[in-house]
Amino acid sequence: MTVKYKTIKEIKQMISQKEISNKEIIEEVYKLIDENSHLNAFVTLNKDRSIKKAEDLDNNPSDSSLAGIPIAQKDLFCTKGIRTTCGSKILNNFIPPYSATVIENLENAGCISVGKTNMDEFAMGSSNETSFFGNVHNPWGEKLVPGGSSGGSASAVAAGIVPAASGTDTGGSIRQPASLCGITGIKPTYGRVSRWGMIAFASSLDQAGPMARTAEDCALLLNEMCSHDVKDTTSLDENIPNFEDSINEPLKGKKVGVVKDLDLSSLDNDVIGVYENSLQEFVSLGAELVDISLPNLSLSVPTYYVVAPAECSSNLSRFDGVKFGRRSENPKDLEELYIQTRSEGFGDEVKRRILIGSYVLSAGYYDAYYKKAQQVRRLIKKDFDEAFSDVDVIMTPTTRGPAFEIGSKGNDPIQMYLEDLFTISANLAGLPAMSLPNGNIDNKPIGLQIIGNFLDESTILNFGHMYQTKTNWHMFTPEGVKQ
Amino acid sequence: MDKKTVTTISYLSRLKIDSEKEQKIVKDLDNIIKFVDQLNDVDTSSIEPLTNPLEKTAKTRKDEVTAKNLKKELLEVAPSANEDYFLVPRVVE
Repeated sequence: MTVKYKTIKEIKQMISQKEISNKEIIEEVYKLIDENSHLNAFVTLNKDRSIKKAEDLDNNPSDSSLAGIPIAQKDLFCTKGIRTTCGSKILNNFIPPYSATVIENLENAGCISVGKTNMDEFAMGSSNETSFFGNVHNPWGEKLVPGGSSGGSASAVAAGIVPAASGTDTGGSIRQPASLCGITGIKPTYGRVSRWGMIAFASSLDQAGPMARTAEDCALLLNEMCSHDVKDTTSLDENIPNFEDSINEPLKGKKVGVVKDLDLSSLDNDVIGVYENSLQEFVSLGAELVDISLPNLSLSVPTYYVVAPAECSSNLSRFDGVKFGRRSENPKDLEELYIQTRSEGFGDEVKRRILIGSYVLSAGYYDAYYKKAQQVRRLIKKDFDEAFSDVDVIMTPTTRGPAFEIGSKGNDPIQMYLEDLFTISANLAGLPAMSLPNGNIDNKPIGLQIIGNFLDESTILNFGHMYQTKTNWHMFTPEGVKQ
Repeated sequence: MDKKTVTTISYLSRLKIDSEKEQKIVKDLDNIIKFVDQLNDVDTSSIEPLTNPLEKTAKTRKDEVTAKNLKKELLEVAPSANEDYFLVPRVVE
């Protein structure tokens, strides 16, 4: 009996049939972590406590929805008593005195947090190359990036180490690595999942979500991750449906928006082919394709690179070496303490974004950049509002291509920023969006993005699940197709 | 974007730029600003800024103390503290 490459649903079945004990599951997970240490997917492990929790479950079985399910937690969520680095030197020694609400929700549902996953520093990156703890490797090829920023989480799930991982998504950080690693991930509606205890990057864009092997598993995880939280003023007090309930609904008569002004010219023919084949799969499932227009979509990357750095420069001002985290040695005065701590503690990409943020927020530039970007942000959101009056979901490729090689994007930050071309607009508009595997190009997976209307995760999970009942791209693993 | 601007925003950000990296940073920031300058081509004259996708006023909650007596735990994670305070280099001579 092995849990490698197993889904949550399969593991739940194995536990309930007593085919495997909770302790055996967790012990195997740590064996798999060891065997895959070259992936550099984990920053910190939580072994003793996890094994203890599994033993407790063996002695006192629980009927909680995710009892005994091993999960890898992105190292951006505060975890009480477990080091939380956010991929940064400045938090190298930070042990939070409390856990994020998402972590508490998952653990209350029975999940066992086996470790913290590597990530781009402060979630700023699309390749996991900005982590202080080194590159994460993609299980589909040692030289390939796993995507980012939730690259460690994506890599751990894709390698079959864990069936589930948490991620966060500010401009594509769940969906892009899900696409590049061949797994399924969803960024919920802004406000669905509490941001309390998440280390903030861009507060009006950040949202946590699940990463797993299937849409169905994402629904199971999302059921537990979502909650109304009084500790987060942007947490929505809305009805949270059971996301599993509608995943089997027939797609007949449902409408898929196909963006006619999407510029696919920079994409390889293979990528366009994979995308168009998936659209046809949905037609054969009974859905109807409808041309829609999102005329301001091409402005989403420049809008994002004003809004996100502005919010980041403000959020990251808390890292000053005074109350927590790393402090520089022997500063001569308070000002030098701030400057040295931050200059030593942040990496190049984080510094670049803080500087851009300070620039666009500074006197004389605020209206020209920050206000302007927020106005364009409204135009982008309006485009989606209009489109969703006609369609149930909108589909695009998740990424411009499959995983690229480590170091291949060179020194030009804008080339890396354009990685998130298709994903950023959902964050700007606050909409739920998922990526799921829909093809392989040169034995590298690639994903399809399904964007949903506000609070309508159920419909995108329904589309995702129905697609996965008809295709087997989600069964592909780096070691062949799962039986 | 030039060296002088970068010096100003670095100070606003409380960051020190290594001299050998300065030239590249000026160039990168200049490229990024040129890239986002395409927003200027959009007519937004009558458009209200969107600061947050929810567009709802932040909710308030009852002013009830939920986390208390955390002084010890919080001071423990500080780089430097005594029993009551965070410690920093002397500010007043």
